[in-house]
Formats: sequence, C-alpha cells, structure tokens
Amino acid sequence: MTIETIIFYAFAAMAIGAGLLLVNIRNTARALFLFFVVLFAMAGLYLFALADFIAITQILIYVGGVLILLIFAFMLSNKELLKDIQTSSTRFISLANWQSVVLSITFLSLMVYTFVNWSQQMPGWIEQSISKGTLIQAKDNNIELLGFKFMTQYVLPFEIISIFLMMALIGAAHLSRKDNTA
Amino acid sequence: MPDLFIHIIVPIAIFLFIATFTLFAVYAERKIAGFLQDRLGPMETGKFGLIQTVADILKLLQKEFITPSAADKVLFAIAPVVIFTAVFIGYSVVPWAPDFIPANTNTGLFFLMAVVSIDAIGILMAGWGSNNKYSLLGAIRAIAQMVSYEIPVGLCLISAVMITQTLNLNDIAYLQGIDSPHPIYFFGFWDVTQIGGVFAWHIFQAPHLLIVYVIFFLATLAECNRAPFDIPEAESELIGGFHTEYGGIKFAFLFLAEYAMMFLVAILGVVIFLGAWNTPLPNIGALRLADWTTGLGWGLFWTFTKSLLIVGIQIWIRWTLPRFRADQLMTLCWKILIPVGFLCLAISGFWRIFIML
Repeated sequence: MTIETIIFYAFAAMAIGAGLLLVNIRNTARALFLFFVVLFAMAGLYLFALADFIAITQILIYVGGVLILLIFAFMLSNKELLKDIQTSSTRFISLANWQSVVLSITFLSLMVYTFVNWSQQMPGWIEQSISKGTLIQAKDNNIELLGFKFMTQYVLPFEIISIFLMMALIGAAHLSRKDNTA
Repeated sequence: MPDLFIHIIVPIAIFLFIATFTLFAVYAERKIAGFLQDRLGPMETGKFGLIQTVADILKLLQKEFITPSAADKVLFAIAPVVIFTAVFIGYSVVPWAPDFIPANTNTGLFFLMAVVSIDAIGILMAGWGSNNKYSLLGAIRAIAQMVSYEIPVGLCLISAVMITQTLNLNDIAYLQGIDSPHPIYFFGFWDVTQIGGVFAWHIFQAPHLLIVYVIFFLATLAECNRAPFDIPEAESELIGGFHTEYGGIKFAFLFLAEYAMMFLVAILGVVIFLGAWNTPLPNIGALRLADWTTGLGWGLFWTFTKSLLIVGIQIWIRWTLPRFRADQLMTLCWKILIPVGFLCLAISGFWRIFIML
C-alpha cells in the first residue's frame, strides 16, 4: 500500500464521514463548517483524478466564495426562522422520504453498474488513448492544455458561460439597487 | 523513503522559520514603533531588549486554556489551527533560491491564492465560535475586507501572469534574471537578457507592472488586516476583533498566522514583481556582477533581503498612517484599486500581443 493510496482513502473517509455528519447534525453553524470539510476533501479527491485545476477552483470558488456567503446568510437570517429549521425537521433537503430513497438508490445502482462494467472491460476511447499514448501524466502541464482547449476547441461554450456570468452580475447589481430612479 | 523524510523535514524547517521570523518581527515592530514615535521601545530584557519577545512567548505558552462557557467549544478550538494552516500551506509553493522550492507545481500561484482564501473561513469560525459580539463584528468586518480586497489582488496577479505566461512560481522567478529561458526587454525595447540585474525584474519589463505592484502591495496589506486597514481589530471599538476571547497558545497561533501572512505576501510580491532570488546588480561590460551574485546562497540572501525590506515597509506604514474608516476602505477598494486593476489587465493584454511577441 503506497502513501498515495493511504492519502486517497483518508480523503475519501473524510468526505464521507463529514458528509454523513453534516446531514445529521442539528447545529446549523457547525453544519456549515462541516460543509467546508466536505468541499476540502472533495478537492483532494479531484487531485487524484489529475484534475488539479478543478481541485483548486473548487477551493477558491466554493470555500472562498460560496461557503462564506452561506455563512453570512446564516448569520444575518432571522433567529426564529433558524430555530424552526433546527427543531422541526431533521431532513436536510425537504423531499419526502420515499422520493429521496428512490433518488439515492438510482444513483447508487448507476455507480455500481458503471464500476462493474468498467472493471471488466475498459470503454473503447480509453483503450484507444492508451494504445496511442495520449494519456495525461501527473507531471504534465495540465493548466496549459486546458488554456489551449478553452481558447480553441471550446471557445464558444467558454464565451457563452462568461456572458451568462456577466448577466448574473448585472442582475445582482440591479436587484440590490435602491428603487429611487424607477 | 528519503522522499518521505524530505516531506517531513521541509514543513518543520518552514515552521521553525515562521516562528523565528515572528519573534524578530515583533521585536522589530516595537523598535520601529519606538523610533517613529521618538521613544526607545523595549530596553529592559536582555541587551537592547533583544529577548523581550522570547519572554513574551514563554509567558503565552504557560498560560491556562480558557474557553468562554457560552462558546462553541469545537469551533473555538479548531479556528486558530485552520487560520494558521491556511497560511502555512501557502509557503509550500514559494521559491527561495534557484530550484530551491518545496513543491515545484505548474499551478503554484493559483494554488496559493486558493489556499490563502481558506484563512477567511478560519476567521469566521473564530468570530462565531467565541460567542462574543465584538468577536463576531470583528470577524464580519475582516471577511468583508478580505473578500473585497481579494479582487484587486487577483487582478494584479492575472496582469502579471499574462506577461509571464506561467503559473509556476519557480518559472516566474527564472524569467526575471540572467538564467531566463526567454529574451528579456527592459520596458519592451532594450534587450537585457545578458545584463540582468534590476533591469530584468518584472516591474521594469513592462512599465504598468509598477502600478500593479503598488496596487498589489496596498491590497495585500488589507488582506493581512494591518494598519491602515485594521478595522477588523480596531481596539478602540472592538477590543481585539475576532481574537478577543483567545489567550495562551491559541492566541500565539493566531499571532503566528498574522506574521506568517505578512511575510508570505511580502515574498509573493518579491517573487512575482521584484525579481525573486535574482540579484539587483547588473552585468556591466567585463564587470560580471550579476553572474557573480547568482546561486543558491546568493539566491537565499536576495530573497530574504528583499522580503524583509518589504516587511519593514509594512511596519513603517503601520506606525505612520492612521486607520481608515470602513466606508473609506471600501471606496478605496471598489472605486480606485479595482478599476485601475482592470485597466492594467487590459494593458497587459495589449503589451503581450503587440510588444512582447
């Protein structure tokens, strides 16, 4: 068992453990900080998939941005409302029980199916790239490859996403404006 | 196995460095404050008060652990660790000398930005966990400030990276001296690849990077919550900000994190804009000053000299300027630094396309 394997299982255990604790804990503030642990462990797992850019982006955007906004929203929200959430419901997502059971079973069976299938025989495109030697190695400059791909092959989706984000920004600025001009 | 040994030795060495640096930085801070305010500073403990900070640390270490009874005990205990670790991991990608870098990764700069932003979560943990209104107010002010000032810092780094075309801090350091793999032009017209020295630094490779460095310096000063941007711990209004309730070794960790952050942003600015471990002395004809003063030992020397100089300027500013008001702070960030940052970003793009290629 190499060090990498140990670290991988440590991150996996951390993600699963913190996730389970997160949905069961009553204290909302601690739940939010547990969410940070989950996101951090997930970023570690991305590293093992050689997706270092995704891993770092996850930390930068989710931990540095989204999570802080969540905590702020939690701190600024009504105390009575929070009490209501903390006492009345032990569910994190307000789906009915049977719906969430169906969802999770479907997802689990999908993952088991893929795992069983792939461990018997790799899909064609993976075997093709193994034979051609176009696999990504850990030492490759992934971020440069990503940059080239964004600016050439995927330039249209990239631009559409940036326009979409721009729309969201302008919308947010418009909503937060005081209504004295209209 | 020797790999594993290195993985353990390097973090310990960095930690020891941070601890020593903090000891002497606190001493320097008091001495400089004394000098600027026309008094002596610490004089009693040891010669010129040299071991005053050692005595302070010993006192801090023996203190009892006190947790406020209404505090969230888990968050209160974890917060200093999270804050310190976030800054500590940032050191893992910073080069100290030619190829003398703990982790030589292609995503170095991006990684550093992401990891340092975890600091904010730690501060919120401390503020919320203390269950004290001063702590919470201090934490909220700190977050508002740090999240706002991360934008100009990011813009500055992007403007510099557009010129360097790499996120690897080791490569960025190489691009500013006589060992550069690409030709270097002083202000875009004078080939200084063989001359090196101060002319090859990034701030002189493109004139607008000088402005970018000034923005970077101001914004990182706010990121470390230091005066004149220290409303998160404005002691006249908030006692101590988010660390009001902390004492003993937990407070020592918060203190270490603060000074580690100061040095981290100083060395980051040095690596990206001020030539990293490259010598400021140029080659003049037969006088090969740059060749003579490049190497492992010299690299360490230049990195330390430049970074400590920047830290000195940070301390000098702290004891010279008064504190900003909250609205002035936000005005400076959103109405001055960010628009100028965007302008520099655009200039970087044009510079890269029309002058460097």
